[in-house]
Amino acid sequence: MIALDVRLDLPRFTLQVESDLNAPGVAVLGPSGSGKTSLLESIAGLRPRARGRVILDGVALQDDAKGVRLPPEARRIGYVPQDALLFPHLDVAGNVRFGLRRDARRGAFDEIIEILQIAPLLRRHPAAISGGERQRVALARALAAEPRLLLLDEPLAALDVELKERIVPYLLRVRDALHVPFLYVTHNAGEAAAVAGEALLLRDGAVVGEGPVESVLAAMAAGRVDPGARYENVLAGELEPRAAGTETAIFHAGAATLVVPAPADERIAGRTVFSVAPEDILVSSAPPERVSARNRLLGRVLSAREDEDGTWLRVEAEGFPWTVRLTRAAEEELALTRESPVWLTIKAHSFRRLS
Amino acid sequence: MTAEDFGILFLTLRVAALATLLILPFGIACGWFLSRSRGSLRTVAETVLSLPLVLPPTAVGLLLLQALRRSGPVGSLLGRAGIEVLFTPAAVVLACAVMSFPFLVRFARTAFEEVDPRLLSMARTLGDSPSGAFRRVALPLAWRGILAGTLLAFSRALGEFGATILVAGNIPGRTQTLALAIFQRTHIGQDAAAMRLVGLTVVIAFAAVLATEVLTSRRARRIAT
Repeated sequence: MIALDVRLDLPRFTLQVESDLNAPGVAVLGPSGSGKTSLLESIAGLRPRARGRVILDGVALQDDAKGVRLPPEARRIGYVPQDALLFPHLDVAGNVRFGLRRDARRGAFDEIIEILQIAPLLRRHPAAISGGERQRVALARALAAEPRLLLLDEPLAALDVELKERIVPYLLRVRDALHVPFLYVTHNAGEAAAVAGEALLLRDGAVVGEGPVESVLAAMAAGRVDPGARYENVLAGELEPRAAGTETAIFHAGAATLVVPAPADERIAGRTVFSVAPEDILVSSAPPERVSARNRLLGRVLSAREDEDGTWLRVEAEGFPWTVRLTRAAEEELALTRESPVWLTIKAHSFRRLS
Repeated sequence: MTAEDFGILFLTLRVAALATLLILPFGIACGWFLSRSRGSLRTVAETVLSLPLVLPPTAVGLLLLQALRRSGPVGSLLGRAGIEVLFTPAAVVLACAVMSFPFLVRFARTAFEEVDPRLLSMARTLGDSPSGAFRRVALPLAWRGILAGTLLAFSRALGEFGATILVAGNIPGRTQTLALAIFQRTHIGQDAAAMRLVGLTVVIAFAAVLATEVLTSRRARRIAT
């Protein structure tokens, strides 16, 4: 899909990314200030000092060796920056129409409005809508220009944003309905797994991890590469429809059958992604009895690693490698070694639905 | 108010409006390029463009006169084309244009500097050429400041005296604007007639400056929120 060989001198380091990305969705991970935004801007053609090659679907957008350098308007790359950057002199409809191509097919505008669910906002001004809404409008505006590639920069503030405000569910709708490939800068490992097939991990401008998203995330969690981002256990599976009068639902992920919170919207079922934080999983060396938590899984310890945050266990249970965080004292008390049998206990409400 | 008073008023409004229209495209262009440039070239350009603000208007008038006379650099070219500017209404327009140009440039520059350059980049990723981004993003965001500068330039043109009298003289019905007529009437002792014109200028200037104030203060409020 996109072949990169980008070099850009930044104040603290040189951004140097040489990478071949093929998945329709690529998560760009890394600590703050690792060059993620600069990379996106270089791809979009907004960094005049960026050197190298950007090849999208076999078309050279930039190839300095051959003297090729398309200006941003000829690259057809949609950009959704952290702060959305909506045009303050236009209302939401005006912002979305701004990028609409003259030869746009009929109904393209309405379709984008529908996918991103911004119809109620059309007459509002950017200053009068929420941060999450601004992101959606910025995504709609980028899509109206019919980009060949989307670049999205998750706002740092989005770490604390509620699920319904987050862009990810909409990004999934865009991916499935419009088939636009994307690079998504995120600080949330769970979301990266939910939307992307591949991941690129940057640190100080260099690529320190690359490949299928699960393996990059696993490497991050195992500490082989500097995490800097939050790691979560991410499970993709099938959600059963919620039974009447219950607040939980059954979720099948691989060999595991889990009890998770039922979505408020009863229509949500089928292909779904849930995550659970490593610190929300309880570990015991004997079968837990009479606990309120709905999920009890028998597994075995794959590895244990210590760092300043405590002990990170990798536990295989029901065919899934779980990452669990313990305090050092707890780990010593449990006296776990490799291959020790352990029981994992997870409350239904520790699971968060990502999509 | 006499028919002569009205004649002077309309002539003044006409030349001031023409002068403002004449400098509008150049003022916007200069303001834009100054707002996007850095370094010593910009400083030099700013200084040169601000000279009419600080030089005595008669000094500017004399320079214009030298340039426009038959043997001058501009006047000889115009003379070959059969155009005579000195001591015509066109000379009034020119004098007013030169004297009010710095006001427009300064306001336009400040207005453009307040436009986030990243918004222009965003327009480019959405398919706009640099000129498209200027037209669809920079101008709409800066129009209030540009309009304020235009009004102020117009007000400055209305009152122009020193440069005008040197290049256009003080010919009643032809180059005599309100400022020149007030001077002449006072000079020949028609104080009451001069005061009528003073009243007129106060009304026009008040309206123009008030409009400028309203525009700039709204802009300030919008930015603050």
